[in-house]
Amino acid sequence: MASKGKSTLRQRVGHGEASNIEYESTQDDEHVEVVYQNPRDRSDIEVMLDTHKASVGVITALTALAFALRFYKINHPDQVVFDEVHFGKFASHYISREYYFDVHPPLAKLLFGLAGWFVGFDGEFKFENIGDSYTTNHVPYVGMRALPAILGSLTIPIVYAIMKESGYSTVIAAFSAAIVLFDNAHIAQSRLILLDATLIFFMSLTIYAYIKFRKLRYREFTPEWWTWLVLTGVFMGCTWGSKVNGILTVFAIGLAVLIDLWGLLDHKKEGHTMEYFWRHFMARATGLIAVPFILYLSFFYVHFSVLTQSGTGDSFMSPAFQETLAGNDMLLNSREIHYYDTVNLKHRDTKVFLHSHIERYPLTYSDGRISSQGQQVTGYGHNDTNNFWMIIPTKALPETGRGRVVRNEDIIQLLHVNTQSYLLTHDVASPTMPTNQEFTTWPKDDFTRHNDTLFQILVVGGVENEAWRTKSGQFRLVHIPTKVSLWTHPQQLEDWAFKQQEINGNKNPVERSAIWSVDEIITEADEIERDEEYRPVKKPKSMNFFRKFAELQLLMMQHNAGLIASHPYASGPINWPFLLSGISFWTENDAKKQIYLIGNVIGWWSCAIALSIYVGILGADLLARRRGMDPISDPVRNRLWNNTGFFLLFWGVHYIPFFLFSRQLFVHHYLPSHLISAMVAGSVLNFVLSETINYPISARGPKTKARPSQYSDIGIKGPVIFLIYCFFLFLMFVFLAPLTYGTPGLTGEQVNSKRLLSTWTLHFAAKTTEEI
Amino acid sequence: MSGTFRARRPASPPPSFASSVGLPSAGQQPGPSGISPLVHSQRFPHPREEHLDADERRAAASKGFAPSYGRTGKNFSSGGLNITTGEWKLLFFVILIASAVRLFRLSKPNSVVFDEVHFGKFASKYIKTQYFVDVHPPLAKLLITLAGFVFGYDGQFDFKDIGKIYENVPYVAMRMLPATLGVATIPLAYLTLRALDCRATTALLASLFITFENGLVTQSRHILLDSPLVFFTALTTFFWCGFCNEDKHEPFTSSWWTWLTLSGVALGAVFSCKWVGLFTIATVGLSTIYHLWVLLGDLRVPPKLWMRHFMARALCLIVVPIVFYMAMFQIHFLILENSGEGDGFMSSEFQHTLGGRGMQDTFADVAVGSTVTIRHVNTQGGYLHSHAHNYPGGSQQQQITLYPHRDSNNDFLIFNATDDAFDIHTQPLQYITASARIKLRHIMTEKHLHSHDHRPPVSEVDFQNEVSAYGMPGFAGDANDDWIVEIEKGDYGRKDKESWKRIRTLRTQFRLRHYITGCYLFSHKVKLPDWGFEQQEVTCNKNAVRENSLWYVETATHPELPADAPKVNYKLPGFFSKFWELQQVMWTTNAGLTDRHVFDSRPDSWPRLRRGINFWVKDHRQIYLIGNPLVWYLSTLGVAMYVLIRGFMILRAKRGYKDFDNTQVVKYDALCGFLFLGWSLHYFPFFLMSRQLFLHHYFPALYYAILLSCGAFDMLTSTLRPRVRLQIAAVLVILAIWNFVHLSPLVYGNNWTKSQCEKAKWLKTWDFSWYVTFS
Repeated sequence: MASKGKSTLRQRVGHGEASNIEYESTQDDEHVEVVYQNPRDRSDIEVMLDTHKASVGVITALTALAFALRFYKINHPDQVVFDEVHFGKFASHYISREYYFDVHPPLAKLLFGLAGWFVGFDGEFKFENIGDSYTTNHVPYVGMRALPAILGSLTIPIVYAIMKESGYSTVIAAFSAAIVLFDNAHIAQSRLILLDATLIFFMSLTIYAYIKFRKLRYREFTPEWWTWLVLTGVFMGCTWGSKVNGILTVFAIGLAVLIDLWGLLDHKKEGHTMEYFWRHFMARATGLIAVPFILYLSFFYVHFSVLTQSGTGDSFMSPAFQETLAGNDMLLNSREIHYYDTVNLKHRDTKVFLHSHIERYPLTYSDGRISSQGQQVTGYGHNDTNNFWMIIPTKALPETGRGRVVRNEDIIQLLHVNTQSYLLTHDVASPTMPTNQEFTTWPKDDFTRHNDTLFQILVVGGVENEAWRTKSGQFRLVHIPTKVSLWTHPQQLEDWAFKQQEINGNKNPVERSAIWSVDEIITEADEIERDEEYRPVKKPKSMNFFRKFAELQLLMMQHNAGLIASHPYASGPINWPFLLSGISFWTENDAKKQIYLIGNVIGWWSCAIALSIYVGILGADLLARRRGMDPISDPVRNRLWNNTGFFLLFWGVHYIPFFLFSRQLFVHHYLPSHLISAMVAGSVLNFVLSETINYPISARGPKTKARPSQYSDIGIKGPVIFLIYCFFLFLMFVFLAPLTYGTPGLTGEQVNSKRLLSTWTLHFAAKTTEEI
Repeated sequence: MSGTFRARRPASPPPSFASSVGLPSAGQQPGPSGISPLVHSQRFPHPREEHLDADERRAAASKGFAPSYGRTGKNFSSGGLNITTGEWKLLFFVILIASAVRLFRLSKPNSVVFDEVHFGKFASKYIKTQYFVDVHPPLAKLLITLAGFVFGYDGQFDFKDIGKIYENVPYVAMRMLPATLGVATIPLAYLTLRALDCRATTALLASLFITFENGLVTQSRHILLDSPLVFFTALTTFFWCGFCNEDKHEPFTSSWWTWLTLSGVALGAVFSCKWVGLFTIATVGLSTIYHLWVLLGDLRVPPKLWMRHFMARALCLIVVPIVFYMAMFQIHFLILENSGEGDGFMSSEFQHTLGGRGMQDTFADVAVGSTVTIRHVNTQGGYLHSHAHNYPGGSQQQQITLYPHRDSNNDFLIFNATDDAFDIHTQPLQYITASARIKLRHIMTEKHLHSHDHRPPVSEVDFQNEVSAYGMPGFAGDANDDWIVEIEKGDYGRKDKESWKRIRTLRTQFRLRHYITGCYLFSHKVKLPDWGFEQQEVTCNKNAVRENSLWYVETATHPELPADAPKVNYKLPGFFSKFWELQQVMWTTNAGLTDRHVFDSRPDSWPRLRRGINFWVKDHRQIYLIGNPLVWYLSTLGVAMYVLIRGFMILRAKRGYKDFDNTQVVKYDALCGFLFLGWSLHYFPFFLMSRQLFLHHYFPALYYAILLSCGAFDMLTSTLRPRVRLQIAAVLVILAIWNFVHLSPLVYGNNWTKSQCEKAKWLKTWDFSWYVTFS
């Protein structure tokens, strides 16, 4: 606590009974010494630093340093590093306009594409492997890396500005900025073609805009209020559009707004009408929901209009989507199917073929249920002659011509070629699911169960009498008597079916996963001439933007959840704040160079400590209040709760959800949270150094009560502590810099000495061996 | 200000109040519990509640006192439980009905039903004292075993399959235990609602609802753990409500302590049945924290007294349950003293404590020329092993695996890799120190442990190399046979200081680094295919996880060591290390139960009663776990209503409406709030679990939900005359019984016709008829 103004802890007797006004005056009396000091009593350095000129000087110095540290040797290494393999590739796809699929939204990648185009990258190089050389392939990679480096550098003044706007003094603001400025992880991440720098840049802009907006809360509905509201929305949309975890920023702002609205709803505070509340509500809905969403849509609009050629991402998309891409395989090779063609049927989601073999279902299953003992029908993932089915008509056909084409809503039989039996389903429970029907086959010559072998083809999204096509003609196969549809799910059967996949009849007529397609025509029917009309259409079709958008969103979500394969450098969220693990980005064996993503230990650990101190302060404050004491003066307390609490909320929303994700996680997912924890560290330092703050900082409105001003005074010890801290921070940065910049190479002993925590897995570490 | 004036009014609270807050009685303000003194105090001649103002009425209500405007009867809590003798008679009848419902034809079916497969088997193991590992703590299983043991079960039946006919098993006695506890749950529900200050009609309704809940009945009629779990959950809730009443009345009396301790013991019992008992602990815990928070805000309670409250609760609600829980495990370990199926889950030290698993003492020194067996530390895969079979792919050399059993193929001979001429018989013992370079020769096949740049058969990744046995008799080996010893850990207690410097049997954990490629000898829980006899894969890993590359020597013999040379054996683990190890094993096993089951379901489907569980099918009869639709849906409705109404009231309060000044509102808010807390804490955590879940996991939550819906009934009918209230309750009970009877063939496994069965299928997703139609 501060040396002057030792506030005595006094019990607030009769808290419940005292009126608010009475209470406030006691508060004021109690803290008067500390709070209402004469501004001229402050130390000269403090006053000087807080002038506008000094602030501009500090920010310029910090920014210049940021650029210097992020652009230092940016051309090294001239090889593909870590995820450049993906994001560089995507940029090249934008330039060559070939469709690709990725789990992240397009803004950041579009910017890379733009940067690449700007510096003259032709999109030929495909970033196939980590370690591929840029120089031999003539890739203007420095221009592309410059983009995140610029955005990463600009993040520093934004952090500074956020702290200044929140009412902290220059020293405190510079402190927070320095933690990010000298952070090895932020630097390593923003020197390469990766999305995080863009994400963090827009996220900090969002925070800045929202704080500006909050400060104008007494001047509601003025033009500037609207400006910052919409800007918050714009930056939020950009954050969301940069990387999929940008959605967390949307949640964080959403929560802050809900808390804000909850306050506006309070009748006791101002006695606002509901109409007033709804006006506020609508304004925020417009600025913070509509605006970002439109922006987000527009990124995808650009994405789709740039990527018009067929590319690596085709196979992820639906046939209708694929037909919008020029040069697509489905567009070129889709053929009409005729009766008596032999085809194979592929399940859309699990990619297995409809399969049958001579073996029969066992009489009883392990849970005691009983089967029909018919021939097994299963799903099999590989090409096999047992996947061949012939399409048998149930109506009279003309000798030749278009009449022999299979059409939507036709009723057919499927003949299993190898065993000469028809596909059949009946009211018997399937091997694993008592709710679903068993599929089996029935001999060709036995007509007793003819009706049970009839199936109808329903082409998805097809019109009546549309011809059924291979590849693009996705369909459901619905059983005529029982109305179940042919379905499979990724559950393996037991050994009696060779662990193949179960096929059964699903009673849900619109089950989304009951969709199949004909992969290819194996042998064509013997008829003499085929009409020429099966010639594929080559001109890309068009598709509604919103349908494309919806389809891609769904796929992105599914694939994001599906990224669960283990990775040697993946780490759990609990390790992150303590910097327990890093990621090896790149190594070069000859010169023993490596890039290892790891943060500045001093910076990260002080942030972790600051967070725990803050939580401790809040806990102590709550307990003290509960016991009728208030050791902290109201303005300071409000700052702690509202401003630092806002930071903590942001930190938590960007961090805690990762505990729930089961996908691959890496330490760089913590970088946004780390940036915010640096701000928490700044405000905690301020609180530890002094009981004073700059107050009030919000713009006064027409009805605001005048409040006595206070000034932050952390005295001479502030700048001194800042300088000492920065010195050590910088030393640590320099010490770890070879791992960040990937140069110079390190000897084994040096590597060992840089391994500050035993959990870091650096390469080229020295091992001692002696022989007996 | 009127508030100030009122609060400063001098009053003289009676002794009971003063001692309740632990203060000297003079000159204090009357607290909320001052109502009872006010009523009976001589100072205030008109003991009528109308004289109390809204604030005090609200305070009174928040402590659970019903407003009694002029009526006689209880208008303050006397602590504990207050029920009339007439109600005891009523309860007796309820218990009779419940017994009839739950014990009816308990001996049918006379074959194994559903998870009796597991829990019956565990009872056999207890009786045969063979060690096993289960994901649930032992209490409920011990009780079942006790029932079986008392009635002479010899443990010889194997409970192999569902539907196997019982032979020489007192299965009725064993089923009787869950059934009895199921019956006992019913009076508890009655008493709990009475302790929560609901009317007798409401309490009766709740107990009858639970009596006729098909799911609870079905579950309690078989050898399953859920009935004990629900019983102990109900018991804890009851004791806790009783304690809360005592606490409002007067703390630190002997009955206060009794209720509190009983709550703690019951908590321990819930947690010792199944780990979901943790949710009950959370319910009581949150409730306690809330009480303490309120107490903390009461500035008349000095910190010392507050600490006393805190310590008392910590003692009874944390220490007592933990001691109880550990005691159950102590009993568990005492009974299971012999080796059994569960050995493989436990560490070598643990196994050493089991009868039939002990090991002879072995020489402590390991030197060049020693014959050793080497075990993997982190997995229970066993010994480094080789046999005369080759890898089908890769180098096609001889396999190296981990093998869990003792076998002469586990023996390896240590050579000095740098000195071929070393003679173990003439030269002094050369111990294996850190950084020693050695070769390991597989004695039976005379091949060396070898690694090279081939991918291993299963884990085909860049950073893994294959490990094989290579060489031929007489061949001295090449540099790819050389391994560097890295000592990682010595004796824990540091009694054997040597073990940190050189390899000592059982005491030293070391890594083996391949001399040429620098990778570490490694194993993990990956099984080889059939050609490797499903033994565990051994590889050489360049990015080895430290734990999985640790090894130790289990036995060592050396031709030159005298017979009296120092010998060692496994250290016997104490209770705490055994206890802790078992907890970890249970946790990992539990988390590993992620396979799908035909009848598993996700939590979101439970309140909707979407689908039941097939327990048993035989001879056209079926036992199928499904709830009583009326009771079930009413309980869900109760929860939904609570959420909606409470949410609406929060909004209203925010807009300045003063609903909470009404004593009725406050009373029912406290009551329903507690039950809702119980429901949500027993329900929502399941969403976070990715393991197999079943409908019966909802039962504890269902218990709370039923009580909650009855609490809502109490509130909705509070303005009605008692007779009308009773009539409504009667109608509800009759409907519930009708529902119960309708689905009862599935409970008792009775015969029914196909048309009856089809008719009973109210929801398409209830899949019980399928078995009957085809057979």
